[in-house]
Amino acid sequence: MLKIENLHVKLENENREILKGLSLTVKPGEVHAIMGPNGSGKSTLSYVLAGREGYEVTEGSVTYNGEDMLALEPHQRAAKGLFLAFQYPIEIPGVQTMQFLKVSLNAQRKARGEKELSIPEFMRFVKERAAKLNISQDMLKRPVNVGFSGGEKKRAEILQMAVLEPSLCVLDETDSGLDIDALKVVSEGVNALRSPERAMIVITHYQRLLDHIVPDFVHVLSDGKIVKSGGKELALELEANGYADFAGKAA
Amino acid sequence: MSTALAKTSAEEALGVSLPDRRMEEWRWTDLRARLNKAYAPVVGSANAADIDRLLATAPFAKLTNHRVVFVNGKFDARRSILAGLDFSGSVAPRPTVDDPVIDINSSLKPEGLTLRFDGQTTELVEIVHVAVAPLKAMAIRNRIEVAEGASASIIETFVGEGDYVMNAVTEISVGKGARLDRLKVERDAAESTHLSHVIYELAENSRLNDITLTNGAVLNRQNGNCNFNGPHAEAKISGAYLLKGKQHADTRLVINHAVPNCTSREMFKIVLDDNARGIFQGKVVVARDAQKTDGKQSSHALLLSENAEFDAKPELEIYADDVVCGHGATAGDINHDHMFYLQSRGIPEAEAKSLLIAAFVGEVFDLVADEGAQAALVDIAAQRLVKA
Repeated sequence: MLKIENLHVKLENENREILKGLSLTVKPGEVHAIMGPNGSGKSTLSYVLAGREGYEVTEGSVTYNGEDMLALEPHQRAAKGLFLAFQYPIEIPGVQTMQFLKVSLNAQRKARGEKELSIPEFMRFVKERAAKLNISQDMLKRPVNVGFSGGEKKRAEILQMAVLEPSLCVLDETDSGLDIDALKVVSEGVNALRSPERAMIVITHYQRLLDHIVPDFVHVLSDGKIVKSGGKELALELEANGYADFAGKAA
Repeated sequence: MSTALAKTSAEEALGVSLPDRRMEEWRWTDLRARLNKAYAPVVGSANAADIDRLLATAPFAKLTNHRVVFVNGKFDARRSILAGLDFSGSVAPRPTVDDPVIDINSSLKPEGLTLRFDGQTTELVEIVHVAVAPLKAMAIRNRIEVAEGASASIIETFVGEGDYVMNAVTEISVGKGARLDRLKVERDAAESTHLSHVIYELAENSRLNDITLTNGAVLNRQNGNCNFNGPHAEAKISGAYLLKGKQHADTRLVINHAVPNCTSREMFKIVLDDNARGIFQGKVVVARDAQKTDGKQSSHALLLSENAEFDAKPELEIYADDVVCGHGATAGDINHDHMFYLQSRGIPEAEAKSLLIAAFVGEVFDLVADEGAQAALVDIAAQRLVKA
């Protein structure tokens, strides 16, 4: 499904390389956790996958269902099934959450040659999903993420994911800024979306998220490369010993 | 010492002196350079088919059952729908405000009506100005009176074709405890010049909600004087500019807090593309006795091109000591984080941009009380900013 090969990335305006030959293969239904210390390149990976400007791929490739993902615009990647849950969801004053969901979903459906949903169909579709995430009607009427608490923002990200029904979800530090109750709600929302067709990449600094979203594979990212891969027990090992062992190896 | 400038051909043709840029209030708007042709006062009427075609472009036709139509500055009773309106055809005397736009208006011998509102008027009244008079200048001087305790809602629309000069002076009086909602939609022809001056006189406990969309004409100069004449009155004067190409729009508002306990709010949202230029000059004067004045002013520009320019000149002149007054001005381009977030959800670049522009001016459109009128504005904004 997703194949990242020998990916090298630097910032457009700097010569410093951030990803230094990262390779990763993700198959449908799999949940991969990517763990690593600050500055290891975790967020860069998520942004490069989503197509944010400001990064330059100097070597390597990313293919998605056989297609060169790096050649696509961000909105085209989304229509192909990629979804990035942001570490810091962006506040957009003046754009109502419900309108944003509708424009997003219909733009994707249009790009895929599917029929746009009627307004009543769409309302029903969103309300069902919002209720499961404890998202009130009032929140849907508010501008996107404006005035939302940290927990509300993360729940809103998961709602977008549930509405857009992507085939590959990239969750960038979804646990940051969440207390334990909010973490549970968000994790349940994510787990409800696990399916044999849908893959997930869960990027996190801490092991605690992985107690709730149990991965099939864990990879350690250090200094721009995956330095170790294993099963879910690898996360526990990291929790006990820290990243110090790996930082040494990559240097 | 200023030296007299040579007369321009428009000055010759109109018999007036145009303001020059050495005048502080006109430093950004070079009317002499713009009016470099011999625009003559309009005579006779226009072709009926042209008038009807242009009238059909006025966006509020379906919303109003009361319509006052002016064609080339002349009242057109036949095209108006006047049933139920209280009006008289006598033109108001020249306002005493010293202002070049009013001078030009007077020299053009304006026509105009006085519209009176008594009681609670729930229906919208539209005043439509149609201009189709190449190389002509036209002037209108209307007076709107909202009686004590009354309420009214007015839309004033400008549409046209060709290179002309529109000059509209309006005097508005809102009586004690009365309320006026006024929406002005300036969609004059792309080659035209739009000059206006509005004088608001607000009595005790009155409410004014005034919104202007500036969208047409190559050069706009819109002046306003808002006078608080009784306590506990409230004025919201807001505007949105949607400009592109070489369009230029300059608004100058003077709010006179002459009496205590009044509130004024000015909010302007300015969208500039290509080489467009937007200017907002807002002056708030608070007299010594006008304690408990609450006056706020803001102007925000969204620059869609590196060649667009925004200038803001806020002025506060405060003689009272117990007041809350403030101003703010910002200018910026489209927020890249917002764009990426929308695009990452599948929204193509052009659509994401439109959504953000609509959100930016939406804060002003939200102030329009009538939902139908609000929807029409949203449509105008969506069409206007789409790039071919």
